[in-house]
Amino acid sequence: MKTIGADHIKDLCAGAAFLATGGGGDPYVSQLQAERLLTKFGPAQLLSPLDVPDDFFVVSVGMVGAPTVTLEQLPTEEETVGALNQYEALTGKKVDAVIPFEIGGGNSTIPLFVAAMKGIPCVDGDGMGRALPEAQMMTFPIYGVPPTPAVIMDAFGHYELLECDDALTFEKTIRAKAVAMGGMISSAEHGMTGQLVKRCAIPHTLSFATELGRLLRSHGGVIDVIQDRLTTLFEKSEYGVFKHLFTGKVIDSKRTIIGGYDVGTALLQSFNHSDTTMEILIKNEYLVAKIGDKVVASVPDLICIVEQESSRPLNAERMRYGQRVSVFGIGCPRHYRSPDALAVTAPRAFGFDLDYVPLEDIKA
Amino acid sequence: MRIGIDVGGTHTDAVLMDGARIVTSHKALTSSDVRRGLMEALDAVMLEAQINADAIDAVMIGTTHFTNAVIERKELSQTAIIRACLPTGSGLPPKCDWPADLSAALGDHAYMIGGGHLFNGKEIAPLDERALDDAIDKIIDQDIKAIAVAASFSPAVANHELLMAKRIRQRIPDANISLSHEIGRLGILERENAALLNASLGNLAARVVSSMQAALEQRNLTCPFYVSQNDGTLMSADYIARYPALTFSSGPTNSLRGAAVLTGISDAIVVDIGGTTADVGVLANGFPRESNSYIDVGGVRTNFRMPDILSIGLGGGSLVHDDGGRLGPQSVGHRLVSAGLAFGGATLTATDIAVANGSTAVGDMTGVAHLDAGLVERATLTMHAMIDEAVDKMRPSEQPVPVILVGGGSILISRHLQTASTVIRPEHAGVANAIGAAIAQVGGEVEHIVSYSRESREKAMTYATTQARSKAIAAGADPDTLRVLDIEETTMSYMDDDAAKIRIKVVGNLRQFL
Repeated sequence: MKTIGADHIKDLCAGAAFLATGGGGDPYVSQLQAERLLTKFGPAQLLSPLDVPDDFFVVSVGMVGAPTVTLEQLPTEEETVGALNQYEALTGKKVDAVIPFEIGGGNSTIPLFVAAMKGIPCVDGDGMGRALPEAQMMTFPIYGVPPTPAVIMDAFGHYELLECDDALTFEKTIRAKAVAMGGMISSAEHGMTGQLVKRCAIPHTLSFATELGRLLRSHGGVIDVIQDRLTTLFEKSEYGVFKHLFTGKVIDSKRTIIGGYDVGTALLQSFNHSDTTMEILIKNEYLVAKIGDKVVASVPDLICIVEQESSRPLNAERMRYGQRVSVFGIGCPRHYRSPDALAVTAPRAFGFDLDYVPLEDIKA
Repeated sequence: MRIGIDVGGTHTDAVLMDGARIVTSHKALTSSDVRRGLMEALDAVMLEAQINADAIDAVMIGTTHFTNAVIERKELSQTAIIRACLPTGSGLPPKCDWPADLSAALGDHAYMIGGGHLFNGKEIAPLDERALDDAIDKIIDQDIKAIAVAASFSPAVANHELLMAKRIRQRIPDANISLSHEIGRLGILERENAALLNASLGNLAARVVSSMQAALEQRNLTCPFYVSQNDGTLMSADYIARYPALTFSSGPTNSLRGAAVLTGISDAIVVDIGGTTADVGVLANGFPRESNSYIDVGGVRTNFRMPDILSIGLGGGSLVHDDGGRLGPQSVGHRLVSAGLAFGGATLTATDIAVANGSTAVGDMTGVAHLDAGLVERATLTMHAMIDEAVDKMRPSEQPVPVILVGGGSILISRHLQTASTVIRPEHAGVANAIGAAIAQVGGEVEHIVSYSRESREKAMTYATTQARSKAIAAGADPDTLRVLDIEETTMSYMDDDAAKIRIKVVGNLRQFL
């Protein structure tokens, strides 16, 4: 069985930042925490979703709330594993493995140290294959896993059992609880059998993100140099399609907070043709990329932006005039191509008046 | 009149100024003896201008002493940290991400106790006074005087840090205490790192300040003296002993402020070209634009208020590669005056290109006469393109901006820059940093997390402005000249629509220059 130890965390975090498509917050706190806890408890065992026994009981764990809060309110060692322990106590079910909500950003590392602390494996996969802002957008509820019973726990160890009928209600409830319970909470949710894991989980994203991060970090120079290697890496992965969409500089970036979300647009100008511009529509993540009026990539396909000179993924919060960037379109995993999935993750689910066209069907 | 002195790693620059007029200036190699170096600088400008000590109203000093101490892990005190955060935060204790050698230089004295606040202003826990006393007992046992205190969300609610400092002072009257909320911003790991570094420099700061005082006394200067800090304002001598770390980036700041004075322009891009690098910064409203990201000091993440500086590898000593298609980042540095072709050496440098294309009269033209004209032109274009790109990355929008060139390497740029509305090469550009140090303004800054559902935006802003004003007045500002320099308002994602972080900064003139 594969493992992920403290030495792999910086690579994983770099890959997770790339796959976070501009969202996911600053992963520094969860990176440090993972490095410390995997040193203390040993590496986490990675279990391929294809190898999860059908009768295994798997629970998704991570944190929910405002990333800004974790900058001040640092975690304890126990808080996420505590939510999982209470989950077992309150539901009477023994948890055999954990799985991340999302591979994009800080939530990718949390299940690893929870697994190491519990002495159970972590499924090498996740429920998004990227970062997305809301719980109903995860593949788990889309493919029939009820989000509850869920156990949430705050930094003080206060916990609560949530029961909701549907994913949308769950999202609203847990968001309100996070604000009421100090701004950031841990959650153990979406309990599922091994059989469901095989159907829902986007496979091998933890090991993929680690490999991707290793490539980005070991290179560290101009992104163009590793573009062929990135193409190969993505093409043989769950994502399949990897397209270079644009290289240019940021000439405008505007964002405001609406309904708790960071909403805005960024405008990029091509180096070679100064009258060619790309517009990026942002709602926490990069959701739509247009060249002129033509949409060249849209959610749930991934739009990833890196600083051209350093190959470092660029977070939407850090984007500003003058940055030289390369924009890539990456095909979403097949799980997001079904009508049920597109109903909650296509551009219209975010309020954009346009249809989703798969990346590979868009001609230059 | 006043004297500005900038003590850099290599050079010490000094100017004597009468209002905005430069009376005399001087440049010398930096002495390892603080007192002697300052006396030499004072002598140089005062003798040349034939000025008596009583004509001097103030001396302003910029220094890299404290940055170097951290980078070299020298002269740092054993330092304790008490963080009020429990029951949260135990997963990431203080100094958990420090390089081992720097951590060892400060010793193993980290304590976490109950206390701190949540984002909404409620207590995480009441301050655990018993645990505080236990920590102080151990600190007394180990005879440690340098102590940093931090508490969760202290930039919004400071009272737990204030209570800790009060108790420490009661029990250790000669303690040198750094409060994190007075030094850093939101982000407790980075802020407590900043407070720790600051506290560890306290002893050194006291020695440096007394050397500065001794130098002034020996030259019969009874006027006050000030030290310039990262944000372009001054702090008084008693202040620097408490906040030495706030000088970490005063070099680039002073050169930005100096450029503003030399040109009278308050909004511009300043390019300071030295021997090895070009430092590009932004003047906004006469002050440096500050960086919003984390700043690495000696391998530690901090969130000091520091100017946003982009450094690129182009300076007067940069090597020329690829027939002029590429320059730097390798440089002959301070050996330029012997290694460069125009100085009889054998290495082709950026300065040789400037000599060959006729943009400067320094050096000897015969040393570069053999250079291919095509190479000279290519290298000239490359240098301009490098500076153009750096300016473009830093300017706030696509609008062309005034570009001010300072520093000894500014001779490299002789032509127009595409990004510039105008290119300005002020006189005395070589001592811009000493001129920047001589500017008499002081400031105050506060950062609060507010909720507009609990108090109106106007009321929150007024309160924050009042706090910033009191800080500036405490630092020596004349209340009547205070103006709001900057208001930054950031709403917080995934929270209520009405939670926001506000940061307000005010500046004013020093009181005695009324």
